[in-house]
Amino acid sequence: MKLSIKKIFLVCFAGWLLTGCQDLLNPKPNNILSADIVLTSPDDVPQVRIGLYNALRSTAALSVVAGDLTADLAIHNGTFTVYNELSNKRILSTNSAAATFWAGVYNVVYIANFIEERLPGLAGVSTTDKNQLLAEARLLRGYAYFIGANTFGGIPLVTTTDVEANSNIGRSSKEEILAFALEDITRAIENLPDTATTGVGYATKHVARAMLARYYLYQSDWVQAEQFATQVINSKQYSLEPNFSTIVAKDFTSESILEVGYTITDDPGTSTYGLNNIFVGRREVIPANSFLLKIFSEESGDRNLTVSFDASKQRGNDNGFSVAKYGTSDEDNNNIVLFRLGEMYLIRAEARARQGKLTGTDGAITDINVLRTRAKANTIVSGSQSDLLTAIENERLYELAFEGHRWYDLVRTGRANTVMTAFSSNWKDTYNVWPVPQTEIQRNPGLRGSQNPGY
Amino acid sequence: MNIFLRFGLSFFVSILLFCELSAQQTRTITGKVTQSEDNEVMPGVSVSVKGTTNGTLTDVSGNYSISNVPEKSLLVFSFIGRQTMEVPIGNRATINVQLEPNVTELTQVVITGYKTEQRRDIRGSIATITSDKFKDIPVMGMDQALQGQVAGVQVTQSSGTPGGGISVRVRGSTSISASNRPLFIVDGIPVEDGALGLRDFGGQNDNAFSTINTNDIESIEILKDASAKAIYGSRAANGVVLVTTKRGKSNSRTTIEGDVQRGFIEVVRKPELLNSKELLELQREAVINGGGDPDQLGLIPGVTDAINTDWVDAVLRRAIYQQYQLSARGGNERTRFYTSINYRDEEGVQLNNKFVRFSGTLNLDHKATDKLSFGNNLMISRTRNDRVKGDNFLDGVYSGAIKSLPYYSPYNEQGQLLGPNSPGYPGFPNFNPVGQALLPRFQTFTTKIVAGLTAEYAFLPNLRFRTKVSTDYNGVTDDQFEPSTTAIGGYLPSVGGKGYGIYGSGTYITLNNSNLLTYTFTKGENDKHSFDFLLGNELLQRTERTASVQGRLYPRDEFTYISGAGAIVDDGGSFLVSNGLVSFFGEAKYKFKDKYLFGATARYDGSSRFGRGKRYGVFPSVSAAWRISSEDFMKAYTFFDDLRLKASYGFTGNERIGDFQFLTQFGGSNYNGATGLSPSALGNNNLQWEKTREINVGIETSLWSGRLGVTLDVYSNLTSKLLNTFPLPTTTGFGGFQGNIGSVSNKGVELSVNAVIVDRVIKWRTNFNISHNKNRVESLADSLPLYRGYEASGSSNTNIIKVGEPLGTFWGLQFLGVDPATGDAIYRDNTGDGTISADDAQVIGNAQPKLIGGITNTFSWKNLDLSVFFQFSYGNEILNFSNTTLLNSGQDILNNQSKAALRRWRKEGDITDIPRYQYNPDRSEEDNPNTYMSSRFVEDGSYLRLKNISLGYNVPKEWLSRFKVQSIRVLLSATNLITLTRYTGADPEVSTLDGSTAAQGIDLFTFPQVKTIMAGITVGF
Repeated sequence: MKLSIKKIFLVCFAGWLLTGCQDLLNPKPNNILSADIVLTSPDDVPQVRIGLYNALRSTAALSVVAGDLTADLAIHNGTFTVYNELSNKRILSTNSAAATFWAGVYNVVYIANFIEERLPGLAGVSTTDKNQLLAEARLLRGYAYFIGANTFGGIPLVTTTDVEANSNIGRSSKEEILAFALEDITRAIENLPDTATTGVGYATKHVARAMLARYYLYQSDWVQAEQFATQVINSKQYSLEPNFSTIVAKDFTSESILEVGYTITDDPGTSTYGLNNIFVGRREVIPANSFLLKIFSEESGDRNLTVSFDASKQRGNDNGFSVAKYGTSDEDNNNIVLFRLGEMYLIRAEARARQGKLTGTDGAITDINVLRTRAKANTIVSGSQSDLLTAIENERLYELAFEGHRWYDLVRTGRANTVMTAFSSNWKDTYNVWPVPQTEIQRNPGLRGSQNPGY
Repeated sequence: MNIFLRFGLSFFVSILLFCELSAQQTRTITGKVTQSEDNEVMPGVSVSVKGTTNGTLTDVSGNYSISNVPEKSLLVFSFIGRQTMEVPIGNRATINVQLEPNVTELTQVVITGYKTEQRRDIRGSIATITSDKFKDIPVMGMDQALQGQVAGVQVTQSSGTPGGGISVRVRGSTSISASNRPLFIVDGIPVEDGALGLRDFGGQNDNAFSTINTNDIESIEILKDASAKAIYGSRAANGVVLVTTKRGKSNSRTTIEGDVQRGFIEVVRKPELLNSKELLELQREAVINGGGDPDQLGLIPGVTDAINTDWVDAVLRRAIYQQYQLSARGGNERTRFYTSINYRDEEGVQLNNKFVRFSGTLNLDHKATDKLSFGNNLMISRTRNDRVKGDNFLDGVYSGAIKSLPYYSPYNEQGQLLGPNSPGYPGFPNFNPVGQALLPRFQTFTTKIVAGLTAEYAFLPNLRFRTKVSTDYNGVTDDQFEPSTTAIGGYLPSVGGKGYGIYGSGTYITLNNSNLLTYTFTKGENDKHSFDFLLGNELLQRTERTASVQGRLYPRDEFTYISGAGAIVDDGGSFLVSNGLVSFFGEAKYKFKDKYLFGATARYDGSSRFGRGKRYGVFPSVSAAWRISSEDFMKAYTFFDDLRLKASYGFTGNERIGDFQFLTQFGGSNYNGATGLSPSALGNNNLQWEKTREINVGIETSLWSGRLGVTLDVYSNLTSKLLNTFPLPTTTGFGGFQGNIGSVSNKGVELSVNAVIVDRVIKWRTNFNISHNKNRVESLADSLPLYRGYEASGSSNTNIIKVGEPLGTFWGLQFLGVDPATGDAIYRDNTGDGTISADDAQVIGNAQPKLIGGITNTFSWKNLDLSVFFQFSYGNEILNFSNTTLLNSGQDILNNQSKAALRRWRKEGDITDIPRYQYNPDRSEEDNPNTYMSSRFVEDGSYLRLKNISLGYNVPKEWLSRFKVQSIRVLLSATNLITLTRYTGADPEVSTLDGSTAAQGIDLFTFPQVKTIMAGITVGF
């Protein structure tokens, strides 16, 4: 009797144990996916594509931080060290914006490489679809390298997802990186669509051309810059908004070429690099007085809508002005425009002016006046080449302020030292590039001893 | 198994036969010996006829038979750990007796892993706290009850907030990033520790243990060495705390006890801050030193300082504490019970801060047959925690009060609260802390159920099987709303703008099943070989479900919930995660002649938290003890009750990291309203447990029949394979992965002394414990400094993890004093490059104490008893990080300053330790070396605290008899009455980063400890 109870019990117990243990030790992950099974099914293709653009978006706010806050547009009004250093021109290699931007660039590179490695072998996806996603991956990787090289100088050229290899990798020269970027962008054009069915936030042939226009402008290849800007302008895919206020206040305007978007559910909120938080919520940085003088000048016209004013905030150093391009507190407007038609006109104007094409329908003045007219400002009638180049420098400031251009412009035109020393006595040529993040140098033996000079 | 069983059965039957035979002879007495408290049979009890050599032992069923017993003689029943009983035989042939436990330190039964053992047989290090040690102290949770009571256990309350976080460390800190909390097991089930709420309140968290009523606890055992805790395997590295709740006693009348406690609570000490006049003078001086015009900045004597608000007074109050408990316990031969209900209501000293708990318990035991018994434990509680923001929150209540300028008042002339948008009110960062206390709603509701069912079947009296199924259920709801009149709800538009609310809920459920088989037997003449075996398995599953939703832009402050308000919901989420543990374990013990004791345990754990290849681990231990006092050469020293050398060696683990960290993962991501997949983490298939190698050597002795007991333990533990993020360059696409990156050691000495110093009409007992632990990071896989704590100006961070230094090391510049000529701070230039920069930073202190301990003196005289309990910490340092704001050298003029600022350097030749004040509006902290993080802010945090003094009076029984009342006890008790310390902040027991190990002991506007003075009455029926 006793023995049988025990036996029954033991049998039940053992059976129950065997079935229970496996479930206990292998709980199903509910909100994550093991990388081994990503891109093993055609269903994953659109999902990973979103992941690719999500990575691009992570670089966008930082390109604004670098392009505008390293320059002379804003002063510090908050408590974050990162903005203090940038605004007061005392940038250290420990600056977390540098680390975040660097990481953002390589996030894009990682997922692009992941797609390039996994996608070609994936069965069940049409060649067209494969080629398009591969082209998008290359375009964004090319853009990431382009913006990375212009921010940091030469950076490591990462072309695989091999963790070990990429943990110990030295810097390639800026030229090598830019050459790689150019090849990526150029190769991408062929397989990109004319228009993106998924909307303005995605890559098309015109996006690639707009990138090339900027690329060649930065390379001082005026002919190519003009050519690609013209292609974008003439594509008729984009049209200038009649009012500059739309540019300030609205998402996905008709002149947006590539815009990374947020919705109310995924906006960056109160994060350190949420532009709405930095410019509106916390007002970590506010427009500098010298910038305000310019944006409120007559030739700027109504582009002074770039800033807003609240007298109740005026106190001590606070001039009461805020950057308005990233929405008000109540609105969801954290979108960041990476390329828009206005810039194409300015690229073409500059390329033409450099080539001596100043007047006439294909002259720089015409392009400048397109934007002046929209801004309800005085148009330019005539001017020397150098007058026009100065005008274009200012025009870019009025039009593109806080869209991530100013610092890159000053550096590429060799004007940084002149303009920036006037703005801040702390300025030095070191700041023509950002530092290689200190943590990267510490963690990557390949980077030892190759910090940018002066940091 | 069958062999054992058959052997056992035949043994049993033969005993019965023997009994029947002997009963037929003349004057033979038979009977059964059982334990008084639960009717368990007692084998091995010595039964003898007094004054003769005629004696025997009870068998495995507790039966005895003794022949040739003369008339009118006495039978003597004796057993270690039991009171010896002498019974006149009269004319009975059957005498059944129940032996009462003899509770001395030595014979106390100690709860060990899955079993019990007599203290005299312990070969490792186990400390016991019985409920009488904390019953007169109004402790909130069982973690608080441990403070100062046990050698080697460091308990630090993170703040004086009721229901707040408490850090418990057993023998130091073993981990950087995995949990450092011991494993808490209540009646056999591991319970949730740490915070349950989903919301962080400026570093301060709620505390899961505050949901458990300590009045229902019978005893707490702390397992400290490998021999005791290795049976808990992969969860045991931080120590194991076993909590046993009260149960009924068999064959006892039902006692009903009512208990009322009421008292008041005040803050231990307030910070000393400047008044309006002093602050204005300082700010004017700072502005002038910076070349500015103070009048232009509105710093005008007679105007600006017309109001002088003491903000700290404005947000604090004398709070009320009350607790009511009704309990009943009792039992007959077969069934026993304990039941209670309890209501505790403790106000916080900060306005609007309150903790309320309602709890009930029912514990039953029933003996169905001689072989089958079962029982349950059930504990249910509901808590409501009205919280206020604190610490590093800009809009905290106490933290805001310290910083707020005394120039402003909380109310306008109409008596209305001023808010951040009120005309003439300064706003950022001066939010009205009184409003911040009174206006928002931050409530955390918790429901906790700890329930278990046990069944035990005795195949033989010495071969038993026990199974237990239990659960720990925790449901938590966070209900938060900040109206437009508050900082978040009104002033910061990006967050709230027009009201801000969060509603979140979580359930955390642990299910547990354990099955145990125990077998004991003795062999040889006089039973000189004694064996004890345990075999078991355990399954554990924990599931966590959480959800939260966030609303903004409420139409009016009257609508405080999202539904109905039409508020914008712009953030919400839900989450489910679970993990499991499958274990097998065993224990074998052998005792030779009660003199040489050996033990071995092992546990085989499989955890879902690790990759397939590293999923299973074995955690063994061995131990031995030598009872010197039983040796022949010690016979002369009869005053030794027990003298025992003991040693143990073994391995334990720590598996408490997040889930799925071994996988390379893709997570959900968004872009332009579409959802997709993004790489989220890099996996590590080699991820494995933190493993701690533990050695313990000790000596335990008891002298003069328990008058003096001394325990001395020395240990050396080495934790390797420390779990932490292994940093990677981001060129890999990731910032790092979870790896096993280093090792940390803890070495220490512990001494406990219990003594009855006077044992006459006046009785004086002393319990003393002291311990020393040396913590050291032994190795790190990566040469990068691991910074922790807060970012600091002038150096990277406030804390560092560095080889050769303990966890909790402070990092910064070495402050050498204030230059009498210039008034500037001087720092040590470690690089010798002539400038002071972050490269000059060095180790400037650490938060780990050199000595901790406590001493309790108990005096009783007639019906009066007095207990005086001191607790201390020596050699720990505190980073007074508040002073980076409160002694800010004029970095800004938006914060009030500490009274110490009156000592500031003002003119050439001043000798002081406070640098000059100079205000330049556009100067950053990095440009102002006088603000740099330095040893200037590190202070000695040693303290000696009169933790509790309580005076009790038991009303004499003769006065009570006619009221049908059994007992009345009246109590006066005061907690934290006196604190001796050199720390200049309000209180040295602080940790703004609640639960942090690497950044412990930082005071950043942390709410100080409170003192409680209360009276209580306990009535027994």
